[in-house]
Amino acid sequence: MADSDLLTLTISELAPRIKAKEISPVELTEAALAQADRLQPKLNSFITLLHDQARAQAKEQEAALMRGEYRGPLHGIPIGIKDNIATAHIRTTVGSKVLADHVPEEDALVVTRMKEAGAIILGKENLEEFAAGPTSNNLHYGAVHNPWNLDHIPGGSSGGGGANVAAGVTFASLGTDLGGSVRGPANFCGVVGMKQTYGRVSQRGLQVTSFNGDHIGPMTRSVSDSALVLQAIAGYDPLDPSTVPVPVPDFSEFLDRGLSGLKMGVPSDYYFDMLDPEVEAAVRLAIDAMAELGVEVRPVALPSMKYAGAMRIAGMADSIVTHEPLIEKGRDDYGPTVLYRTLAGQFILGRDYSKALKVQRIIKEEYAKVLQDVDFLVTPSAPVAAWPISSETVNIAGADYPVRGPGAGMTSRCTSPSNSTGLPAMSVPCGFTEGGLPIGVQLIGRPFEEPLLYQAAQAYEAVSPSLGLRPAIAGTS
Amino acid sequence: MPIEKETLKAMIRDYHGFEISDEELDLVAPALNGYLAEVEKLRELDLSDVMSGRLLHADEGGEN
Repeated sequence: MADSDLLTLTISELAPRIKAKEISPVELTEAALAQADRLQPKLNSFITLLHDQARAQAKEQEAALMRGEYRGPLHGIPIGIKDNIATAHIRTTVGSKVLADHVPEEDALVVTRMKEAGAIILGKENLEEFAAGPTSNNLHYGAVHNPWNLDHIPGGSSGGGGANVAAGVTFASLGTDLGGSVRGPANFCGVVGMKQTYGRVSQRGLQVTSFNGDHIGPMTRSVSDSALVLQAIAGYDPLDPSTVPVPVPDFSEFLDRGLSGLKMGVPSDYYFDMLDPEVEAAVRLAIDAMAELGVEVRPVALPSMKYAGAMRIAGMADSIVTHEPLIEKGRDDYGPTVLYRTLAGQFILGRDYSKALKVQRIIKEEYAKVLQDVDFLVTPSAPVAAWPISSETVNIAGADYPVRGPGAGMTSRCTSPSNSTGLPAMSVPCGFTEGGLPIGVQLIGRPFEEPLLYQAAQAYEAVSPSLGLRPAIAGTS
Repeated sequence: MPIEKETLKAMIRDYHGFEISDEELDLVAPALNGYLAEVEKLRELDLSDVMSGRLLHADEGGEN
């Protein structure tokens, strides 16, 4: 099979062929590394490429396969890791200059689990400085480019991962999501992004910038691939108190069950208030398509969402605490956006912080109540499609908002609430703008009910206008 | 309502925050103003009678 054909496959398609020894992990890794080398000058999606390590891992996995030690569907699959997730003896910059030479001694637990599952790590992927922003236009390591249009952002902060999965470089990438940093790049790059329930996946080894609402989650080319990757990384970690000791289900269990019998809530508040018309049209069409597939559609009210912005207050205050030692050590190495937003966090009053947490609690209870009446919610993944890298502002519903610093939260307003509620939420491609940029629809579920989300997402994916389409730069048929 | 620079400087001095020059305070201001705007919205939100499920549980005699 030609390299370009190999790179079009999903993990679900590759796995049985690797297991049957029809496709070799070494062959697959070489094809992926060649694609990475070809596209790195255009996408700038990696901070560190790991040619030697990837080749060594591929040989090990191939040898294991030959010994009859098949490790499961990720065996021999090339992946990417966001550069704020620790990798032992490999620098982990968090997209920052101040940590440019930071070399962890241990792998993050998710990295350990992906290795144990047989995955091959191609490299550490580019991101927004300190994972704090929606563009992946990194001041220190350069901008990541969207494979659908190189002049546009790939979304952030896990932009390198989103670009790599879309462009046929990696078959999955692990990103992190504190306000939409997995689902945003997935949305803007036309791939699937999952932010599972808070507590489902260990954050140990993640360079956190907030103690409240960060997640490590997968970006993949299909819903079924997302279920496979989550299967590998999910589970209680006794050394990470944020994880919850609940059983890990078979995330693929409900795939192929369709949408009949499920109830889908369409929020009448907040999510559809400020949308680009092309995004709204695509998401409404997705809702109609799901209705045709048999889901019962119900309007739902989330009136407390008008206070959703308050939850960012807590994040600002957390930021000053986590950055404090680094700012003391290397303040001049910070980009202005992160530095000044972080310094502003020192003026947040305890009373306001506590009130923000109370608002968070009220909003969580409102979602919990709504999700007693419906099985999941459907919303846009973002209010707009990817904007040009050169833009300092983005127009949303007739008003201009900055894409960096204060006010930039507008671009992630559809994803960030699920970081505060902790509910599982995923972005699935649902079409394109007239300019050829991807649009995504977001599904939000009940705590620890990822299998049901995957069930609904896969049913829609099969009829999505995005199905099977890839950016031309991928060079695949 | 904007906070005076001198007030911010006094907060830094008294609470051992990071030193910020006048020029830097101007750059910090947009983030602060965003914070204040959200706080302003919270003032409109009367939470005094809003009890979370957990607190209601306590009222019913449950342990909390």
